[in-house]
Order: sequence, then structure tokens, then C-alpha cells
Amino acid sequence: MDAPAASRKILHVDMDAFYASIEQRDDPSLRGRPLAVGGSSRRGVVLTASYEARPFGVRSAMPSVRAAELCPGLLFVKPRFDAYKEASRVIREVFALFTDKIEPLSLDEAYLDVTSPTGGPRPAVEIAREIKALILARTGLTASAGVSFNKFLAKIASDLEKPDGLTVIRPRQAQAFIASLPVARFHGVGPATARRLEALGIRTGADLQAAEEGELVKRLGRFGAFLWRIARGQDDRPVEANRRRKSLSVEETFGVDLRDPTAMRAALGPMAVELARRLERQDFIGRTLTLKIKTDDFVIRTRSRAILPRLATEQELLAGALHLLSHPDAPERPVRLLGLGVHNPVVGQTETRQLPLIFDADRG
Amino acid sequence: MKITIERAALLRSLSHIQNVVERRTTIPILSNVKLEARDENLALTATDLDLTLMANEKADVIDPGVTTVSAHTFFDIVRKFPGEAAITLEQAAGSTEMTVEAGRSVFHLPCLAADEFPAMSLEELDVRFEILPADLARLIDKTRFAISTEETRYYLNGIHMHAAGSGPTGTLRGVATDGHRLSRVEVPLPPGAENMPPIIVPRKTVGEIRKLIETAGDVPVQVAVSSARIQFGCGPDMLVSRLIDGTFPDYERVIPMSNERVASLPAKVFAEAVDRVATISTEKARAVKLAFDTGKITISAVSADAGRAVEELDAEYPDGALEIGFNARYILDMMSQIDGGEVRIEMANAAAPTVVRDPADSGALYVLMPMRV
Repeated sequence: MDAPAASRKILHVDMDAFYASIEQRDDPSLRGRPLAVGGSSRRGVVLTASYEARPFGVRSAMPSVRAAELCPGLLFVKPRFDAYKEASRVIREVFALFTDKIEPLSLDEAYLDVTSPTGGPRPAVEIAREIKALILARTGLTASAGVSFNKFLAKIASDLEKPDGLTVIRPRQAQAFIASLPVARFHGVGPATARRLEALGIRTGADLQAAEEGELVKRLGRFGAFLWRIARGQDDRPVEANRRRKSLSVEETFGVDLRDPTAMRAALGPMAVELARRLERQDFIGRTLTLKIKTDDFVIRTRSRAILPRLATEQELLAGALHLLSHPDAPERPVRLLGLGVHNPVVGQTETRQLPLIFDADRG
Repeated sequence: MKITIERAALLRSLSHIQNVVERRTTIPILSNVKLEARDENLALTATDLDLTLMANEKADVIDPGVTTVSAHTFFDIVRKFPGEAAITLEQAAGSTEMTVEAGRSVFHLPCLAADEFPAMSLEELDVRFEILPADLARLIDKTRFAISTEETRYYLNGIHMHAAGSGPTGTLRGVATDGHRLSRVEVPLPPGAENMPPIIVPRKTVGEIRKLIETAGDVPVQVAVSSARIQFGCGPDMLVSRLIDGTFPDYERVIPMSNERVASLPAKVFAEAVDRVATISTEKARAVKLAFDTGKITISAVSADAGRAVEELDAEYPDGALEIGFNARYILDMMSQIDGGEVRIEMANAAAPTVVRDPADSGALYVLMPMRV
């Protein structure tokens, strides 16, 4: 394995059960108890589960109804994004003490490039330890950090010893470490891709390392090439400060192609919920809603319509998605994949913008 | 027609009349004021077809009659006459001119026949009540700043008035919003008003009736209303207006009931500080940031080209740090309606409706949406 000579030092810092920990911090009666932040209604989704709830199998993005079944006595708390944003702001202030190369992924996680940290060279592990201590002191919350020489490994490392973990993956350890990973742990590999890799006999990082690049590209396109490279520890994606998101979308490849329009409509419901959740987390506002439809002949069509330039609600997203699904016509072939996304971000005035009063009757 | 009238009386009426007359109109008669002299009275009427004002003044009627002349020209002439002048108006039978004479000045104004002038609607208005001028003024003053000027949402271009409850605890409410802020104010429900339909009084009508009650003293204003029209009898003057034909949004929905972060501040000190700091935020969106923390509030503004400003005030605020941005102009508009020494600001978070109250006035409530800053 060829680790680059001038190796980078990348941190991935990820807050532990962020929303749930904030709720437990702010309300002592919630401490030590299984807790889910999210809606408890029939359509609600768990945003974050506390560590007490996780042994029961409660996970984020899980329907709340399912979570309540898995974990009797699970407490539901409505999210307070304001408190989360405030904590996130404090955390980013801590990051900024060490480097200006900070790429936030969401409120509770970020990549930092500490190859040349503020105030002169020092070991990345030491910086990670200090960041964790400062976050704890200033917010009362724990974070897990991963330290490595690229983004892919730093991110995996931060997840290894959660909560309150600090894991280093050094260049010479990388190959053996990657070899041991199941493919589902690789960035961008969801259930559908995992099944396709499995069909090629690829289950682990070792299998990927042994695979032919050409074969992966043939089966998975550009993503195949990306997988082949990161399996070799080659990930030169830079830490991009001020990265501005251009779109935000969710998509799902169905286990069985959908033939019935009712089933297609039903599939859009949870996607709208998930998309609304992510839009709110990222504070992302766009002017265009896009529905992506991939049919069983692998033809991809996208349909778009304008939406109000404000934080979209799940009802608005679902209404728009249902409209796009049936206009100008319903898909004629079985549907393999549906994707729902918001594009065309509102920029410029978003920095400072007057929020509207929302009257239900006239849509604000 | 021939009359003599005091300049002061004529000027009072014409100053109201000339507000009603649109400066640009495609229908010539609408530029004119109708003058009708009889029984020691001069009735002056102007209309823009939505709003009609009839003012009455005592006059020495030598020869009764009726005619119309350009309202703005007539007003300008009367305005420029000296203070104590007695003015004579005369139109000879069959003449197309009216003469206006005071001292040694004589003006000849072209007339249009009075029978071309649109007749005032005589439609019966079913609900009638009396309201104290001070109460009507309050309904207007504390809400009109929030009236929308956006024409697409025409139903926000006025003050929504409706009866809430009945009997001695009932109130007459005025509500206005431009979609960013909202004002709701109450006065005791006048007897007879409990049956009034919910209405939206257009901005221009609001402005005119407010000016009329300025000169009305304590005499109650006679109100008659249907779902399409409202009529105000204010001393010698009568204003009839069409109402906005639309449904005002269910405004109660945007008034939060349980905002838990509450700050109390000295009103004047706060308003002055916001005004000072906002000097920096010169852009169109005059954003200021309010950072609340235990016992204090820090007001700040940043501008790309005008610099930065920070001012700290003592505040009664026990509820944990919160940063929230607002349009400074909206804050100042609201603060100018706070009559007591203190203002109470009730917040949920930086993106939710904020309630502003005057602890000295439980009948007024303001809602303000924050800005993202």
C-alpha cells in the first residue's frame, strides 16, 4: 500500500447521540433513560436515540412506531433545533481554534484538516484530545474523534469507539484495517450496492482490494473506481471549508420493482419525511423540487417543479412529489428507484432574511 | 349658487376632501369636489368610487345651488388666502364657471355639472353602533403600521375588525399584518357591535377616518356596517367606504401562547439602543441581532461596508442564552406603540414568532417574526 509521502492529517469529529445528549443534559429527569428525539406520532421518525435506547435496536431514521415496539418505555422528546444549533455553534468555535479548514457535514459532525494547524505543527492526536476536552467543558457533551490521513478513514475511525472515543488509523495500519471492513461500512454503499457487490463475491474490504478495477467500474461506474481507490487507502478528497451544498436529496432502490401507482405513492411518504428532516438539519432552502424515477429498463427520468423558497415541510414535499409522480403521466414501466430532492438553493439573501408568519390558509 | 364662508371652515373640509380625490384619474368628474349649498350649510363631497367623504360646514347661503370644481385647485386657492378671509363662492345659473373671491382676489374655476357626480350609496347598513373617538383611534394607531402594502395579498391591505365575545367582557378587535409582523389590539365592545360581520377596512379609509376623528373631539363616532360597506358619522362629516372583499387569515394561529423565554426591558432605553445600533445596518433589511443572556441583552449589527456596532443593556431575563435577529424598523414601529415604561418580549427560538407586549396595556399584543442573521 502506498501511503503518500507528505501525509495529510484529517480529523473527523462526531458528537455522541447529539440531540439526545443535549436533551439529557438540559433535563436531568431524562438521564440514564432510553430516549428518542423525534416525533412520537404515527408518521414520526427517530432523529437520535440515546445510548440507553440503542441496545434495544433503536436507531436514527427509524419510524417512531417501530422504535416504541422495540423498546417499551422509550421516552420521546420533540426536537429543539434551536438548542442543537447553539451547541453546534459552540463546537465550531472550538474547531476554529485549531484550523480554518473545517468542513461541517451537519450540526454534529465535521472534518478538520490539521496538517498545518493554527499555532504551529503538533500531533493530530493531541489536537483531537484537546478538542474533545474543550467541547466537553463548553457544552457538557461528549464527542468521538477519528484521526487518519484521509476523510474516509477518519470518518470510520470516529465511529469505532463511540461514545467518547478517540481512534487513530495510521498509514501503516490502513491496509489491514480496511481489509477487515464489511463493504456496507464504505461511504456510499447502501443495501442495493451491497447486494450488487455480494453478487460479485465482494463482502469485505479485502475482497475489494483484490478486485479488478475494470470490473468494479463496469458494474458500478465511477463509484466503482472510487471504491477501488478508497479500499487502497487512496482518498484525496480535500477538506472543503465553506462548501456550499447545491442540492439535498434522498432516494431508494426498491427490493422489488414497484408496478402499482398506490405502492409508488406510499413509498414517497417516508421519503418526504426523511427529506424534510434533512432539510431542517442542514437549514437548506431550495426553489426546485425534483422527482427522479428509474424504471426497470434503467432509464432515469427527472421531473421538477418550483416550490416556495423557504424551509419545506414534509406535507409540501409530499404534495409536490405526488404531483410530479402523476404529471404529465404516471410511470408506464415498473419503477426500480425513486428519488426526491430539493435543488436550486436560495443564496445571497439567505444570510439575512426575514422569516414569514405562516398562516395556514394562505400558505404564508 | 352664491354663498359666503369662513376660510378656516372651508380649509378644514377641503384638506380632508383633497386626500380622498386621487391626483390621477381617468374620469374627470372624480377630480372634482361637489359643492351643495342650502339651509345655511355647504356640503362638500369627494369620492374615488371606493371611498366617499361628505364634509359639512356652516355657510351664509345667499342662493342655494350645486356644482363641482377641481378639488386640488380649489384647495390650493383656499390654502393661499390669508388667515381670516371670508370667501364668496358664486356660480351664475347656466354658467360653466364658479368664481372664488376673497378680498381683492378673484378666481374663475371651470365646473362640471353636479348630476354627473357619482351618487353616494344609500344602501341600508344593518349593524349600527357608537364608538368613542379615542377607542377608534386606538384600534387604528396600534395596528396600521403593520398593514401590508403587497397587492397580491389584497386581504392584508387593511385593518381587520371583528367582535370578540359579547356583553361587558366582549371586545372589538383590530388586527393588521404584513406577513412579517402582526398587531392585535382590543377596545371594549360597543353596544350593538356584537352582531357586526368580520370586516377588513382598507388602508386609505383607515387614514381618512383617523384624520376626521382628530377634529371630532369627544363626540362618539356613529358607525354603520354591512359585510360590504362601512360608514362613519363623525361630527359634521360622513365617510362611506367599500370594505375589502376577502377573508382575513386565521391570525390566532400565528400568535404563540406559551413562549417560554421572557425578557423585560425598559422600553425607551431599548428602542433608543436599537435605533442607535441599526445605524450600521444600512442595507434594505435592517437586521439587528439581540443576544439575550442572564440579566442582559446585547444588541449588535454588522454591515459589510458600514462597520459594526454593539450595545449592551441590563434586562430582566432568566431563561438561558438566546440569539435572535430582527428587522430594526419592525422593532421600532412596535416600540412606538408601547406606552408603558416597560416592554415584555416573549420568545421561543430564533426562528419562531416572538410576542411583544406592553405590560401597561393588556389589550394590545404584537407578534414579530425574526430574521435569520
